[in-house]
Formats: sequence, structure tokens, C-alpha cells
Amino acid sequence: MTADIVILSAAGMLVSVFLMVGQKALFTTIRLYGAQSLLLGVVAVTIAVSEHRHDLFVTAALTIGLKAILIPWFLMRMIDRIGIHREIEPFLNVPASLLVSLALTVIGYRVSSGFPVGARGVSHHLIGVALSMLLIGLFLMVTRKKAITQILALLTVENAVFLVAVGVTSGMPLVVELGMSFDVMLAVLVLGILVQRIVGRFESMDVSRLSKLKG
Amino acid sequence: MSPAIDALVTVAWALLQAAGMLAVAPLLKTAIKKMKARLQSRQGPPWLQGYYDLAKLLGKEPVRSETASWVFVAGPRVYFAAAVTATTLVPVLVAAAPLERAGGILMLVGVLALGRFALATAALDTGSPFGGMGSSRDMTIAALAEPALMLGLFTSALAAGSLNLGVLVRNLLQQGLSFQPSDLLAFAGLFVIVIAETGRIPVDNPATHLELTMIHEAMVLEYAGPDLALVEWASAVKELLYLTLLIDLFIPAGIALGVAPVALAVALVAWAGKVVLLAAAVTLVESTNAKLRLFRVPELVSISLGLAFLALAIRFL
Repeated sequence: MTADIVILSAAGMLVSVFLMVGQKALFTTIRLYGAQSLLLGVVAVTIAVSEHRHDLFVTAALTIGLKAILIPWFLMRMIDRIGIHREIEPFLNVPASLLVSLALTVIGYRVSSGFPVGARGVSHHLIGVALSMLLIGLFLMVTRKKAITQILALLTVENAVFLVAVGVTSGMPLVVELGMSFDVMLAVLVLGILVQRIVGRFESMDVSRLSKLKG
Repeated sequence: MSPAIDALVTVAWALLQAAGMLAVAPLLKTAIKKMKARLQSRQGPPWLQGYYDLAKLLGKEPVRSETASWVFVAGPRVYFAAAVTATTLVPVLVAAAPLERAGGILMLVGVLALGRFALATAALDTGSPFGGMGSSRDMTIAALAEPALMLGLFTSALAAGSLNLGVLVRNLLQQGLSFQPSDLLAFAGLFVIVIAETGRIPVDNPATHLELTMIHEAMVLEYAGPDLALVEWASAVKELLYLTLLIDLFIPAGIALGVAPVALAVALVAWAGKVVLLAAAVTLVESTNAKLRLFRVPELVSISLGLAFLALAIRFL
């Protein structure tokens, strides 16, 4: 039962990343990130209940409160203030991006079976999903032009790392987790300010315009 | 049991199941309309509206264009026949399909494709620009949706070790519920396909006749009277069929293994509940999304193609 819920949530996270790749509306992308973080929280709660690890409840609460509610709310407010709602055509169009993401997922899964603990069972799927999310997140960061999507991609990578930390290893010490959570929060805040500065100066979130500073 | 009686039972069962699906399908269509109306704070049509519409259309005389040939007349009939045939290939209440010896997944996809081909050809027949536009659009989507449907079905077939839907459901029940990431990926992929195939909102709008956006409606624009009734009825049956297929493949719990009355009653309640649940999901998607531009639709369908492919790939990795 535990394994089922964990695997189902992990698969849901993978689906959310794929929908992110296929999406252009920024609000939907942010909501997808929120759903993804919620699923991560579900994974943490499930493991906490089944293995009687009460410290994981704190992790889950932090994940859901911070990443599923606070950060999406903050990003949405920022978009509202800037008034730009759609992703511009990325460097690679959607079907091609999807194909690359497919290949990355296959690679992620293939590599995960090389880990000693990742050869089979729940950990195989968790490591596979996490590696795929990591790779797709990096890929999104490289190919998207909007600063917000790049932030979301970075957060996705962070979620992927967290998934492995919670699901496969016995979890990190609480201090480290707290530190990481606040790091993420701070990163989003700083990046948010940065985006507002970029928009203020270029009247667009298109980071490819940044290279024009040279002229 | 002698082969003759066996054959008789099979035929009776197939007819019964087809009749049942035909009878329920208009109700499902009305139920979705009703749920959608509720979400928009409207009353919605009365529960029997689907039947009233069909009765009205069937009572009229068919009006056909002078340039139409037999292809135009045959289109709705083949489409209807294909949909009805398809209902006998899918397990509904009992974990076996009446005509499962005739073929499994490939047969089902083939029969549905035959119906689509007949309707698209018929729409081209009158030479009206709308019909041609409709069939061209329908085929564009179908060309992507069909491989995705096959890949999604294959994923489940691989898990159960059979291409035959009856055997597939029985094996899934015996294995018990065990989730794999590929199940969820395949479900997500197939759900998008169901929305695309039944002409629901992010892909097509069943409630509009706006030239720029319509797909299915453009194809059947030339039909009137009984011809139109057949098309509408078959579309409703197809919708019910796809939802039943999703239930069979991913949430088969509750389906009867024998023909004991109690088991059948339980299966009927479970099936109805699950259909309503999936219909509610479809309604929610329809109410919370805007219709996509036509050129964005292949992107959506290719996402589901990707998900279905991935589901299959992960099975092997």
C-alpha cells in the first residue's frame, strides 16, 4: 500500500513535469509546480506514517506549506504585477522538447538501474523519476526564454533531489532540511526581484535580450 | 454445452450488451451536459433530453444533397454499426467481452478506425467545403491519437500478458491492485485521448457551430434527420465505450467474474459509479479549460502520445 502511494505520487510528479514541458500559459505551469510539490508532500507523509518517522512530518509540512502554497502564490502575484502571462516561443518548439524529454526520461530510468539500491522495486522507480525530473528540469532551464519558467525549472530540479532524499535515503537531518527550505524560499525571492528588474529594464521577461547589454 | 447453444448464448449476450450500451449512452451525454450546467449555475436540460433529441431526429425525413452519392448515405450507418460492434468487444459488467473470440485490442482499434474512415469519407462526398475541412481536421487529430491509444492499450496488455480484453481484465483482477508509474502515465495519456476522441473542450467544442473551431460538428454538418440521429447516437456510444475502456484497464475492481445475480448487481453499481466519476472528471476539464487553437491541438495530443510511449518504455527499463 505504502509502495503504491509512493510510486503513484512519483509518477504523478513525472506527469506534471511533462505537462510543464507542453505548457505555455505561465499560470498553469505554476499550478503544475504546486501540484508537483503537493505530491512530494504526499510521499513524505506516506513514508512518515509507514515508518513511524515523526521528523518527516515536519518535512512534509514544510514542503506543502512552502512549495505547494507560498511559492506558487508569490510567483502568481509577481506575474500579475508584471502583466505577462504567456511563454514566448522557446528555443526548441513543443513537440521537439517533448521528444527530448522522452529521451531524457529513458536515460534517467536506464541510469537508475545502475545504482546498487536502484536495481528494482520502489527505489528503482523513485530514482528513475527523480533523475528524469532532474534532467528535464535542466533541459527546461536551457531552452526556455522566460525568467519565470527558468525559476520553475530550477525548483523542479530541487523537488527531484528532495524526492530521492526523502524516498530512497533515510532522509536528511532536520537542520539541513530547514536550511534547504529557506534557501529555496530565499532563492525564489531573490530571483523574483531579479525578474522584476529585468522586466523593468527591458519591458520583457525574455532573457535572450540580456545579451544586448554588450552593444 | 453443445457448440450451437454456446453460440446462441454468445450472440444473445452480445446483443444484450450492445442494447444496454445503446440505451445508456444518451443518458451519459445528458448527464455531462447537466454537470456542466451545474458548474455554470444553470439548471441544464432535463434528464431524458438525449432521448427526446434522438426521437425527434429519427421522426424526421432525411434531407440529402443532390450531389450526394451512396457513400454519403453509408457513412452514418457504418459509423453507427462500428460503434455498436465495438461495444461487444469490451468487458462491461462481466470480466469477459461477448465477442472476445473475434479479437482483442487490435480489433477494437480497427473497428473504431473503420467507423471514423466511413464518416470522414462521407463528409468529403458532398463536396461542401465544411465537410472536407471537418474530415481533414478529424484525420489530423486521429493520426496522432490512434498510435497513442494503441501504445496506452499495449502498456496494459503488457502488464496483463494478453491482447485480449477479456483475458486482460481477468489477469489484472487476479494480480490485484499494484501500481506502476507506467499505469499512471498510460492513464494520463489515454485520458487526453478520450477527450480528443469524444470531441470535448480543449480539443473540440460539442456545443458550437463556429466555422473556425469546429471539428466533429463540421464533419456532420450536412446530415439531417435519421442520418444525424445515427451519428449523434454513435458518438454518445463511443464516449461511453471509451470511459468503459478506461475503467477496464485501470480500475477494474468490482467487475463480476461470474454471472451470479449478486455479483452482476455489484458490478452494475460499480460500473455506473466509475462512469459517473470519469464523466465528472471530463466535465471538470471541460469547464476549467479554454478551447485550444486548432494548431495547438496536435501539441496536446502529442503530449499524450509521449506519455503513452513513455509508459510502454518504462515497462522495459
